[in-house]
Amino acid sequence: MNVRIGSEEKGDCVVEIVRGGAIEVETKNTDLLEEGIRTVARETISSLGAKGGARVLDIGALDYVIAARIEAAVRTAHPDETRPLVPSVDRCATDRDRPRRSRLYAPGNRPRLLVGIEIHGADSVLLDLEDSVPPAEKASARILVKHLLAAVDFGGEAWVRINPLEVCGARDVEEVLLGRPHGICLPKAESAEDVRALSELLSRVESEHGIDEGTTWIMPIVETAKGILHAEQIAAADPRVVALAFGAEDFTRDLGALRTRDSLLCARSALVAAAKAAGIQASDTVYADIEDDAGLAEECAHARELGFDGKGAINPRQLPTIHRAFSPTAAELDHARRVVAAAEEAEAAGSGAIALDGKMVDRPVLERARLLIRYGEQLVERGDAA
Amino acid sequence: MRNALEREIPEQIGTRDVTPFAGAFATSRTGPKAARPQKSAPRSEDKLLPSIDAAIEATGLSNGMTISFHHSFREGDRVINRVLDACARAGLRDLRVLPTALFQVHEPLIEHVRNGTVSRIEGSMNGPVGAFVSAGGRLAEPAVLRSHGGRWRAIEAGDVEIDVAFIAAPQADPYGNATGIRGKTPCGPISFSTVDAQYARRTVVITNDLQPYPVYPMEIQQGWTDWIVEVDEIGDPESIASGTLQLTRSPTNLRIARLTTDAVVASPYFAEGFSFQGGAGGISLAVTKFLGDEMARAGIVGSFGMGGGTKMLVDLLHRGLIRAILDGQAFDLDAVASLRDDPAHLIIDPGLYANYDSRGCATYKLDAAFLGATEVDLDFNVNVNTHSDGRLLHGIGGHQDVAAGAAMTMITIPALRGRMPMILDQVTTVTTPGEVIDVIVTERGIAVNPRRDDLRERFVAAGLPVRTLEEIKAEVERLVQPVRKPVFGEEIIAAIEWRDGTIIDVVRKVEGWA
Repeated sequence: MNVRIGSEEKGDCVVEIVRGGAIEVETKNTDLLEEGIRTVARETISSLGAKGGARVLDIGALDYVIAARIEAAVRTAHPDETRPLVPSVDRCATDRDRPRRSRLYAPGNRPRLLVGIEIHGADSVLLDLEDSVPPAEKASARILVKHLLAAVDFGGEAWVRINPLEVCGARDVEEVLLGRPHGICLPKAESAEDVRALSELLSRVESEHGIDEGTTWIMPIVETAKGILHAEQIAAADPRVVALAFGAEDFTRDLGALRTRDSLLCARSALVAAAKAAGIQASDTVYADIEDDAGLAEECAHARELGFDGKGAINPRQLPTIHRAFSPTAAELDHARRVVAAAEEAEAAGSGAIALDGKMVDRPVLERARLLIRYGEQLVERGDAA
Repeated sequence: MRNALEREIPEQIGTRDVTPFAGAFATSRTGPKAARPQKSAPRSEDKLLPSIDAAIEATGLSNGMTISFHHSFREGDRVINRVLDACARAGLRDLRVLPTALFQVHEPLIEHVRNGTVSRIEGSMNGPVGAFVSAGGRLAEPAVLRSHGGRWRAIEAGDVEIDVAFIAAPQADPYGNATGIRGKTPCGPISFSTVDAQYARRTVVITNDLQPYPVYPMEIQQGWTDWIVEVDEIGDPESIASGTLQLTRSPTNLRIARLTTDAVVASPYFAEGFSFQGGAGGISLAVTKFLGDEMARAGIVGSFGMGGGTKMLVDLLHRGLIRAILDGQAFDLDAVASLRDDPAHLIIDPGLYANYDSRGCATYKLDAAFLGATEVDLDFNVNVNTHSDGRLLHGIGGHQDVAAGAAMTMITIPALRGRMPMILDQVTTVTTPGEVIDVIVTERGIAVNPRRDDLRERFVAAGLPVRTLEEIKAEVERLVQPVRKPVFGEEIIAAIEWRDGTIIDVVRKVEGWA
């Protein structure tokens, strides 16, 4: 069988499995780079317990890309004899309600777009195995995503969008969980059962690999008519669910609607209400025109008015605008601090009623103020105050 | 011997005695300038000659002499190759070529080195000629690289003497006045040649657009010009962009541009009267654009922007965000048009721009500059000349002049290019010393020279990702196996002059790999 994995795109490499034990390396700068590439290839093959050699055509791939391409090639060539590599990963679970202003998508099969995805300061990076990955590349993409997860410190959260479970989502989870993502995005979520099935799968894989059970979050993406109608159940289906995301492209297609602000209003509001009723966050759909920053800013402002906590991004260029829109403003933070101060005064005075500027402050307002302050502090800690 | 940066340099390079680099502002001169022979032109003298060959004959150019050129047509230049062909036809040998810069288009020069017409090169080498020189052993003496200001200084000081200056001029008159911003194929200022025109023993203007007296602006003046040759073609202005003038689309480079802009805005210099120099690289262009937006938002009007002129810079002038552009070269045709039409877009020459031995440089009036690099090191030293494989592939340009001049010099560089880390323990070649570098901006964070704690504090207060070079270096080195390094032999292929004429480093021939 002639196995060939990878591409000749910048940042990638092409790996072929060859007879004999030799490792052949072809790279633009042989004198400087060949030895390092050979080392990665040799070590990967040996940790897979495989014999045989490989030919590597390098287009400027980082070590984790080369390792992923080698692993995919060896496992394709010897499907029955090789087990997945289990990288060592040092990553802690995140807070349920940490800031998630942005979720930055990157296609899981393309190193050119994946390499460096962690540097842009996204609150969450979303490595995609679903729509952006063609069927023939699903297997190598999930291996690549696993290696990326293991190699890189994301600063924020690292998520993986798997395929629907009935497609190949289970295999996605089994592979990528070895890279210890913070959470899994479930596309086309339509029912509480969908979410629970994923949660059970996560529990099983977590326990198999000694990961604390329940620490991998779930973000269902609601992007069908049925999903919107069942948003309330989806949001409340499982304690792993920390946010609901909205996917407008699939949704308008499902409805046969045009994508306008009006046509999406009901769905957006329903999704926000479902999320907030369950005490979780709501994340808006992506804005497709990366050149139109003003349009993006407008849509962010609209989403924030409706109660969304963040928005998807398809290009790092969109992050500053999204972050600006979904960060608490100085005035909001100031007001929140005064609310909390008033509450503390009331408590010290032994009074049950809180008043600020002559107005009563309700309990939910106080809770909201505390959340906002904590949120603001987390952003400051990250060096990312708006 | 070792210079102030601990770089090992010889006491002599070729026939020249070396003065080692002692610090960015360590030397000063008080002696007289060099001078060309006097000549009194009678009123009726006819300066027109029928061909380049005739000009070579008229100038008395002979073996071993020095000829000079400007690079204002960049990749579109048609004059250097033609003049050298004519020199070869005339049987001339061992010429020294002193261009302001060479580009890929000048690859035929290699053949003239092989056949003996040319034996020495002093000037910036971009691309194939540099690669050829890197292979070593072909030139009679090591190449000498100087900054724009350094070249001017060396000519004025008499460190290098020009026998004949050949000056491509998009428009000229029969009495010897010439400009680069008018004519059939304007290329932008040709002011890089004004020092050649004034100090060469003989000055020849080569034009494809001869117009009645007087042609203006008189970048090249009648009092300096011996002869004028009219030819059909001198260059292709469409190629002055050298293919570099694209606003970057790379997310990594845009990230660097954004961080650079945010750092400028957080600095004390971002205020009314702010001045800066950008460049033609994708990151610099993006920073220029982003900075314009920030200036508009903050209601700040800058005093001046410094070229190479680009559409991005011209846009700022036309939006009223800067009061003037000082420009020694045009990187695109928008800049050429603006130089012609807008009196606030000024032509400056490298002497005004950056002559170390002068009574004032324009670069010293810069608040901020953002410059590229091929490598940087933990001491903030910058290499723009060689690649990590030791090959000499780029000239200095104005890098040293601007870095030394600006109040805040920022280097924009990706921490990783493909598999290659760009922050090293020691750069392969030092072009510009760390003492004049204030900030290094990578996609993975902003490093501030320890000398500039004031800047570091402001950046931190602004929430910018400030990190040490060591941290960024360690982070990218976790992503790649170590890269091998060149082992250099004894043979020196090029000397890198600091802008004051001292030797900051030499480039040696690569002999192996470690």
